[in-house]
Amino acid sequence: MTGVSYLAIAPEILLLVGAVSVLMVDVFAQPKPRVHGWLAGATFLAVAVAIGAQWHRIGIDGVGTSFGGTLFLHNLSVTARSILLVIAVLGVATAWDMLVGLGRRMAEGLSLVMVSTAGFMLMGASADLIMVFVALEIGSISLYVLAGIVRNSPTGDEAAMKYFLLGAFASAIFVYGAALTYAGTGLTNLVEAGAAMSSYHVARPAVLLIGMSLLVVGIAFKVTAAPFHAWAPDVYQGAPAGVVGFMAAAAKVGGFAALINILIIGFDRYRGAWADGLALIAAISVVLGTLLAIQQSDARRLLAYSGVAHAGFILTGLTAGLVGTASVLFYLATYSVMLVGAFAAVAVVSGPASSGSSLDEYRGLGRRSPLVAGVLAILMIAMSGMPLTTGFIGKFQVFTSAWDGGFRWLVIVGLLSSVAAFFFYLRLVVLMYFRPPDQSQGHPSTSLRMRLVLLLSAAVTVVFGVFPAPLLGWLDQAGG
Amino acid sequence: MTGFSTLSALILVPAVAAVVVMLIPERRRELVRPLGVILSLLPLPLAVLLFMRFERGEAGFQFVERVVWIEQLGVTWHLGVDGISLLLVVLTTVLVPVALGASMHIDRRVRLFVAMNLLLEAGLIGVFLSLDLFLFFVFFEVILIPMAFIIGIWGSENRIYAAIKFFLYTAFGSALMLAGIIALALLHRDQTGDMSFSYLAMLDLDLTTGVQRWLFGAFALAFAIKVPIFPLHTWLPDAHVEAPTAGSVLLAGVLLKLGTYGLLRFNLPLFPEATLEFVPLMAALAVVGVIYGAVVAIVQPDLKKLVAYSSVSHLGFIVLGTFALTSQSLEGGVVQMINHGLTTGALFLLVGIIYERRHTKLIADFGGLASSTPIFAGMFLFIAFASIGLPGLNGFVGEFLILMGSYPTLPVYTVVAALGVILAAVYLLWAYERVFTGPITNPANRQVSDLTMGEVLLFVPLVALIVLLGVYPKVALDVIGPSTDAVLSRIESTTDYVSPVAGFDMFNSGDGE
Repeated sequence: MTGVSYLAIAPEILLLVGAVSVLMVDVFAQPKPRVHGWLAGATFLAVAVAIGAQWHRIGIDGVGTSFGGTLFLHNLSVTARSILLVIAVLGVATAWDMLVGLGRRMAEGLSLVMVSTAGFMLMGASADLIMVFVALEIGSISLYVLAGIVRNSPTGDEAAMKYFLLGAFASAIFVYGAALTYAGTGLTNLVEAGAAMSSYHVARPAVLLIGMSLLVVGIAFKVTAAPFHAWAPDVYQGAPAGVVGFMAAAAKVGGFAALINILIIGFDRYRGAWADGLALIAAISVVLGTLLAIQQSDARRLLAYSGVAHAGFILTGLTAGLVGTASVLFYLATYSVMLVGAFAAVAVVSGPASSGSSLDEYRGLGRRSPLVAGVLAILMIAMSGMPLTTGFIGKFQVFTSAWDGGFRWLVIVGLLSSVAAFFFYLRLVVLMYFRPPDQSQGHPSTSLRMRLVLLLSAAVTVVFGVFPAPLLGWLDQAGG
Repeated sequence: MTGFSTLSALILVPAVAAVVVMLIPERRRELVRPLGVILSLLPLPLAVLLFMRFERGEAGFQFVERVVWIEQLGVTWHLGVDGISLLLVVLTTVLVPVALGASMHIDRRVRLFVAMNLLLEAGLIGVFLSLDLFLFFVFFEVILIPMAFIIGIWGSENRIYAAIKFFLYTAFGSALMLAGIIALALLHRDQTGDMSFSYLAMLDLDLTTGVQRWLFGAFALAFAIKVPIFPLHTWLPDAHVEAPTAGSVLLAGVLLKLGTYGLLRFNLPLFPEATLEFVPLMAALAVVGVIYGAVVAIVQPDLKKLVAYSSVSHLGFIVLGTFALTSQSLEGGVVQMINHGLTTGALFLLVGIIYERRHTKLIADFGGLASSTPIFAGMFLFIAFASIGLPGLNGFVGEFLILMGSYPTLPVYTVVAALGVILAAVYLLWAYERVFTGPITNPANRQVSDLTMGEVLLFVPLVALIVLLGVYPKVALDVIGPSTDAVLSRIESTTDYVSPVAGFDMFNSGDGE
C-alpha cells in the first residue's frame, strides 16, 4: 500500500476545506457567529467520519504508508488524530466566547484552530522527516498567531512574539537534526532510514546520534519538556485563556506522536541511546516542572510548569520503547482532556480573552461557583495522580513501563516528584474550598457551552479513571 | 458468590450514601444531619451479619468476591475478610455513626461534611477488605482526600497547615509503596507470565532476601508513617489538634490502624525473611515510640495533644507485638488495634465535648469539673481506666497479650515497653486529677453542663464493647487467633524461624480442641 490513498490524508484535507470555507463564507456573506459554528461543527463531524473510515481501513488492510512512503496510515497516527479531534472540538467550544469577542476577525481565529489541528494531525502521520517538519510548522505557525489574536493585549503580543521566536529556533534545530540524519544515511524517510541503519554498517554513527539528539530537542521544545520549556509559562500566561488549553494539548499530542514515529521506527537501532537521553530529559522535566510549579502565584503559570512535569511523565513511559506506547497514548489522551478542561475553568474564572489568572481569583470558588470549582478540583486531583482518576491510571502505566524497561531510578524520581506536586495541586483545591472568598469576588458566569466542556472533561477523567479497561483495550492495539 | 455480596455492599453502601447526601437540595438542609446519621448506620447491620456468619476457627479469607476490574492491568475487584480484618471492619462501622452523631455542632457546609465522612468510611472498609494490591492502594490513597477535607474545612485555626502536612506525609509514604506494588506485579509477571496484583498470588512468589529487603522497606515506610512509628509521627499531633472531633475520632480510631494492619497483612507474610532482619529495628522504634509518646503526653498542656501522643505510645505496643512474632503477641496486636480504636475514639469524643462547652482544651483552664459534670467525669475516668489497661476492661487484654507474647522473643524491649503501661497511668490519671478533681478555681467551669442524653447514647456502644472485650475477650480472640497464627506459620514455613511455645494460654482455653 505505497500508492496514493486519499483516505490516509482525508482528515487533514477536510479540516483545510473547512478552514477555507469558514474564511470564504466570512468574506462573501459576513454571517453571524452561529453560522461559523455550524460550519466548524460540520467539518469536525466529517473529520470524525474520515477517522472512522481510517480505523476501518486499518482493520481490513493492516497498517501501511502512502504518498510515496511519506505518510503513515497506522494505529498511532489515527489514534493521535482521534485525540486531536476531541481536543479541537473542546478547544473551539472553550474559545467560542473569545472568538466571538474578536468581531470581524472571528473567522480568522476559528480557521487557525482548524489549520493547527490539521498540522498536528499530519505530524503524527508523517513518515518522512521533511513531512514532519512541514506539519510541525503548519501546526505551530497557526498557534503563534492564535497566541496573539487578541490584538489590544500587550501580554498577548509578548506571548505571541516569544512563542514565535523560540518556536522558530526549535524548528531550526529540528531541521538541522533532519539534515544530519540525511547526512548519515542519505535518507529522510523514517522507514527506509530505520531499515538502512539496522541492515548496513553505519559509517559515521556520531553524525546520526547528533542528528537524532537535535530532532529530540526540537520536539522537546514543542512538548515543553525541560530544559526546553522556558517559553511555556509566559505564553500560557499571556495568550487568551480560551485557546491556551488547545494550544498546550494539541502541540503535545502532535509532538509526542511524531517523536514515537521518529525514535521507534526511525532510530530503533539506537534504542539504548535515546532511551537514556529521554530518561534524562524526563527526570529533569519532572523535577524542574514540579519544583517551579510550587512557587507560582498564577494559575496558568502553575499549569504550564505542571505541563512540563507531565511531559516528563510521558517521556518516562516512552523510555520503554514500543511496549510503552500504549501507556504514552493513554497518558496523552487523558491529560489533554484534563488540560483543556482546566483551561476552560481558567477562562471562566478570569474571562475568555484575559491574560493571567492570579491564584487569588480562586479564593472561595467552591462557594461562588460549585460547578467550576468541583470540576477544577477533580482535574487537579487527577493531574496529581490520585486513584480513581485517569491521572492515576496514566501515571501507573508509564511508571510500570519505565520500571519494566529498567529505568527504576526514574520511577522513584517520578513518584517522589508526584508527592511534591500534591503541594501545588492541592493549593488550588485549598484556595477554592478552605478559604473564604473576598467580598468583591462575585459568581463567575458560565455559559451552557462552558458547563458542557467542564462536565465532559471531568466525566472523562473520572469515568475512564474508574473503568479504564475500554480505553486501555483500544489504545493497546493502537500501540503498533 | 451469592446474589447478595456483603463485602461489596459494605463498601458501596456508604459511597452511594455520600452521593445521596450531596444530592439533598439546599432547601431541605435540615434533613442532612439526621439522614446522614441514618445512612451511616446502614453498614453496621451488614458488618454484624458478617461477624455472625463468619466461620470461626478458619484462618483463610471468607466471603471472597472476585470480579475482573481492569483486564489489561490484571487488576481485580477482589475482596475477602479474615480474622485480622473482620473486627476492624466492625469497628469502622461502629465509629463512623458515633463520629457523625458527635458532630451536631458542625454548622458550616453540613452536606459536604457528612458526605466526606461517608466516603471515608467506604475507603476505610475498602482498605481492610481488599485482596488485590492495586485495589488496596486505591482505597489507601483515596482516604486521604476526605480526611484532608475534614481537617482542612472544619478544623481549628491551623487547620490548613495540618491538613496539608497530613496529606503530604502519608502521600510520601504511599508513593514508595506504589513502586513496591509495581515491582511485585512485574515480578509476578516474570515468574508466572501474567500481570496480577492478587495478594494471594503474591504469597506464592519466590523472592530473594535482597528483593524482600527493598520491598519490605517500601511497604514499611508507608505503613510506619500511617501508624505512626517514631520518628515519623510529627504529622499526628498537628492533625489531631486541628481536626474536628469526628476527624480525630476516625483518625485515631481507624486511620492509624491502616498502618499496623498493613504491616501485619503485607510485610510479615509477603517478606518473611526481611521481616526477621528488620525485627530489631522495628521493635526498637516501637519501644522508643511507647516511651517517647508517653513521656511527651505527660507534659502536654493541651488535653487533645495529650490524647494524640498517647496514641503514639499505644500504637508502639501494637508494633512491638506485631514484630515479636509469637502467637500471643500477634493476637494481642490485633486486639489492641480494636481496643485503641474504642478507647482513644472515646477519649477524643470526650475532649471534643468539653471543648464545645468551654472552647478550650488547655488542662490549666479546668479544675474541679467533677462537681459540675459528674457523669462526664465518670465517663472520662472509665475510658481512662480502659486505656491504661485496668483488668476487666479491654485494654488489659491487649496489653497483657502483647507483653506476655513479646517477652519470650524480645525480653529487653518488652521490659522497657512495660514501663509505658505505668506512664499511661501517669498521664491519664494526672490529667484527670487536674481537670476534674479539687475545688473549682475558674468560675467558668461552674456553668459547664453535663453530658446530655444524646451524648451518653454515643458512648453506650463504645462502653459496651469495652466491657465485653474486657470480660469476655474470647469473642474477639476466636476470630483473630487462627488468622494471626496463619501469618506466624507462614513465616515459620518460609524461613528457619521457630516461634517459642508459650507456657500457658489464659485466654484461649479452647485452643487445642
